[in-house]
Amino acid sequence: MGSVALRNIRKSYGAVEVLHGIDLDIQDGEFTVLVGPSGCGKSTLLRSIAGLETISGGDIAIDDAVINTLVPKDRDIAMVFQNYALYPHMTVAKNMGFSLRLARQSQAEIDRKVKAAAEILDLTALLDRYPRQLSGGQRQRVAMGRAIVRDPKVFLFDEPLSNLDAKLRVQMRSEIKELHQRLKTTTIYVTHDQIEAMTMADKIVVMRGGHVEQIGTPLELYDTPASVFVAGFIGSPSMNFVAASAEGGMLRIASGEVLGPVTGDVSSGREVIAGFRPEDIRLSDTGIGARVALIEPTGAETQLTLRTGDASIIMTTRDRITQSVGDTVHFSVPADKLHCFDAASELSLTNRTRPQ
Amino acid sequence: MNEQPRTLYWIFLSLVGLVISLYVLFPVFWLFLASFKTQAELAQLPISFWPEAPTFDAYKALFSPTHQKGQLLDWPQLIGNSFFIAVSSTIIVLVFGTLAGYAFSRLNFPGRDLILGGLLISRMFQGAALLLPTYRLMSMIGLQDSLIGLVLLYSAFGLPFATWIIASSLREIPRELEESAMIDGASRLQSMVMVVLPLATPALITAAMWHFVGAWSEFAFASILLESNDHKTVTIGLASFVELFTLEFQYVGAAATIVALPIMLIFLFGQRYFTRGLLAGAVKG
Ligand SMILES: Nc1ncnc2c1ncn2[C@@H]1O[C@H](COP(=O)(O)OP(=O)(O)OP(=O)(O)O)[C@@H](O)[C@H]1O
Ligand SMILES: [Mg+2]
Repeated sequence: MGSVALRNIRKSYGAVEVLHGIDLDIQDGEFTVLVGPSGCGKSTLLRSIAGLETISGGDIAIDDAVINTLVPKDRDIAMVFQNYALYPHMTVAKNMGFSLRLARQSQAEIDRKVKAAAEILDLTALLDRYPRQLSGGQRQRVAMGRAIVRDPKVFLFDEPLSNLDAKLRVQMRSEIKELHQRLKTTTIYVTHDQIEAMTMADKIVVMRGGHVEQIGTPLELYDTPASVFVAGFIGSPSMNFVAASAEGGMLRIASGEVLGPVTGDVSSGREVIAGFRPEDIRLSDTGIGARVALIEPTGAETQLTLRTGDASIIMTTRDRITQSVGDTVHFSVPADKLHCFDAASELSLTNRTRPQ
Repeated sequence: MNEQPRTLYWIFLSLVGLVISLYVLFPVFWLFLASFKTQAELAQLPISFWPEAPTFDAYKALFSPTHQKGQLLDWPQLIGNSFFIAVSSTIIVLVFGTLAGYAFSRLNFPGRDLILGGLLISRMFQGAALLLPTYRLMSMIGLQDSLIGLVLLYSAFGLPFATWIIASSLREIPRELEESAMIDGASRLQSMVMVVLPLATPALITAAMWHFVGAWSEFAFASILLESNDHKTVTIGLASFVELFTLEFQYVGAAATIVALPIMLIFLFGQRYFTRGLLAGAVKG
């Protein structure tokens, strides 16, 4: 068991508050990813859960027991740090068995558990090495091994893959995901990489400036972003945004052209931000006129940059492109793929429920 | 291809090093050789460099009870005193320097950096300027002519620098290592002893060597504070040869050799620790 509940978590460093009341419920066994731009408080939140930071307000509960004042070792959590934090003077086996040794388990028991974890992580041949004799990926694995031998209630990961090269990162990503499917331990995983968040998470928590911006499954966030921020953060390339005004149920952009119907409850004359994803744009005979500014084929997909007025629109398509740079094209967006955001608050006005 | 110039360069460097070493070490070596000569050989002209008939007489004399009566101080006693003072104050400095260094490097308290800087400044006031005030202070609290008094004094002198060395090296140890240990189930003390201190070994050894050598060879404060003969230290013993009726250089040589021996051993042993890159592999490499 290992459910986590955060109630109105606040954290200040001196006079500066960096977490402004975080509420979050994580079910037992869930893989939750905290994602957000640098400095938004992801690590601070994770470290607060670990007990490495003292929170200034609120409650942290694991399995309904409030653990605010417990020291890290009494919280039954394991943490993998961004720089792995392996003990340099201990072998891989000693590193992995350290927590068991502190818990005064018998040497036979320690050996058995370390061996089992090493087999899962493919570290058996490296058990007698020192951290300095390992590659980055191997160190990363040892750090994970150190966490799993404990069999804790919750795993905490703070950007564990950010020090690996791109290829290894993809590989470790699936390994961590597989490990989670096998162990089913509640996991809280911090990253600022939205692809990592999308591919790994059962639940994504998008954070911004010490607030939770939105919580949902990867596809919920993709289909029904609650704000311009989330809409722009999730998905790659990012959602396109253009200024528009709602006129008679239609979204009219600066050039006077009509983008499509207003989605949601928007009064006429209201200034909004219209959003649509690059992959939802269709080239058509009618629609909004634009000039092709850039064509970037990647093989399977082609990315086009279109200019209309002073707006740049990115579109991606799996079709072969016959146009060339400088051509004038027309594009349209299906009505059910259009998002409306309030121009001032940047919150979504589109109360669409996610298609099942 | 460029083997030739490299070798020449290496030979050149070695020669320069050799000349400097010779210049520095010659007097030391001469004194060392003198300790194996006889009084007669030392007095004769022309001076002979190597002892004609090497003898341990000087060493024997230093340690023989009969000889100590009139002429020489009780050398076994001097060595014992010096060891007692140097070892005890090194232990004190290490224990308190480690605790203080840990606090300075890990805990947040008001005025931390100011105090740490102040520690270094306090070292600038050492030396002759402190001799008289220290003497007065020590007599007032009844610690003059006391080995314990000197232990406390040296510890006080040595602590700022030891604390500073240890604090700066502990700062280099990533905080995550300790946090990791605490999550793994260690108390603060356990994480310090099992994770932090093993990684700080080079700094601890450096601090200990530095202090031991300083305490072992300190002369000024020892000579004004220690009065009775059975409280004196090796440096006072060496200086007292000057006051003896005849300058018997074989004794000076033997005594100087004995006094230099622990320091040489310490450097021989400690050098390995200076260069050990214990931190390699702690974080991403
Ligand atoms: N010890 C500290 N003292 C003061 N401010 C701090 C401290 N640690 C973090 N902060 C501030 O708290 C905010 C959140 O930091 P945090 O490390 O949680 O960000 P993050 O989301 O993990 O960012 P990144 O993606 O760069 O790791 C930042 O503005 C940071 O400057
Ligand atoms: Mg961070």
